[in-house]
Amino acid sequence: MATRLSAICCVFLAIVSGMPLWAHHSFGAEYDVNKPITLTGIITKVEWTNPHSHFYLDVADGKGKVVNWKFEGHNPAILQRMGWKKDTMLKLGDKITVTGWQARDGGNWAHSREITLASGQKLFFGPPAGTGDGGAAPAVEVK
Amino acid sequence: MRGFLLTAILAVTVSAVAASGQTKPPAKSAVPRASDGKPDLTGVWQGGSTTRGSWEEANRGTGVGGSGKDPAATVALSSNDRPAGREPAPYQPWAAQKVLEAYNRRGIDDPTGHCLPAGIPRTIMLGLFPQQIVQTPKQIVMLYEYMNVFRVIPLNDKHPDDLIPSYMGHSVGRWEGDTLVVDTIGFNGKTWLAGTGTFHTDALHTVERFTRIDKDQINYEITMEDTNVFTKPWKLTSTLMLREGTRLQEMVCVENNIDIDRYEKLLKDGVKFTR
Repeated sequence: MATRLSAICCVFLAIVSGMPLWAHHSFGAEYDVNKPITLTGIITKVEWTNPHSHFYLDVADGKGKVVNWKFEGHNPAILQRMGWKKDTMLKLGDKITVTGWQARDGGNWAHSREITLASGQKLFFGPPAGTGDGGAAPAVEVK
Repeated sequence: MRGFLLTAILAVTVSAVAASGQTKPPAKSAVPRASDGKPDLTGVWQGGSTTRGSWEEANRGTGVGGSGKDPAATVALSSNDRPAGREPAPYQPWAAQKVLEAYNRRGIDDPTGHCLPAGIPRTIMLGLFPQQIVQTPKQIVMLYEYMNVFRVIPLNDKHPDDLIPSYMGHSVGRWEGDTLVVDTIGFNGKTWLAGTGTFHTDALHTVERFTRIDKDQINYEITMEDTNVFTKPWKLTSTLMLREGTRLQEMVCVENNIDIDRYEKLLKDGVKFTR
């Protein structure tokens, strides 16, 4: 309750040595950490763009239909520093498996974390769940 | 036998002396110096890290932003999350309420969501994007890949009387011994400082201290004053680690920024996302 809010504010500290910081937007607003997904499909489109890259997968839904999913991840510069080669990886028609979390509205839209390429190579494409939405505690102390 | 021992001791002693001449000099003397004798801060750096090595070495295996062991692990802190530091953020009661409201909205009001500059110290403390310092005897230039913003910091100069409010503020610098001190005013009050909702006003005044303690590391400290929102100055500390071989890249954030539309759709559709 607002009136119970202490005015004494604290940013709790701790932490972070050695831990890079994510930026730009809130995972928790768009994606549901309680909806982890792992999907295998065929790449139909890739957007190496800022502030986030995206790729699209045709995924068989097990009922005879193919559903196109959209996944979000890091921007091109970050991906390149992580080892991604846009000219040889994530090509149209490639079959990949992606682990991530589905959008809160339940649509075919997800946050990607780890991708397994057809070669078996595994790389991260996005940050972990929960990044960017404020952390486990607010920057102010609540009493 | 005795002669052998003496020879052996001498050999060990000589080799030890020779080896000592090859060992790394003390940390302080390892600080690169500019032609004017000041510590040379020139280089490409990564904030929020204490790991030495190249970008690839320092972030190997983790995929920047994670442990690499569990894709679900929330081990990396966001610029919106609790920041590094050792001192509480001294917000006034009404301001604390506002910070909490932003937290409960999961940071959808974050100015960077609109591709606006992240300001100070958030831009410096970020880990995902490199930053570059170019030092000359008369001015320091700081370049940031994140949002492609920059700071030109004249040394031993004064702030002008007529400042145009800006996201990164107006900075002047000076050397205090081996520490670069950067004084900044002229902020527009439209950024978050460090952590979700950590707003401020155009009265913000920051003093940053950059101290290169050896070849690989700069210790960073910032003191933020804003009597409109704080009860006392707020101090945070962080580190910058040298990333030789890394080159800053273009980042045009507005190119494909669809997240704000997504937030508006969530609100319109009544999707529960707040805490």
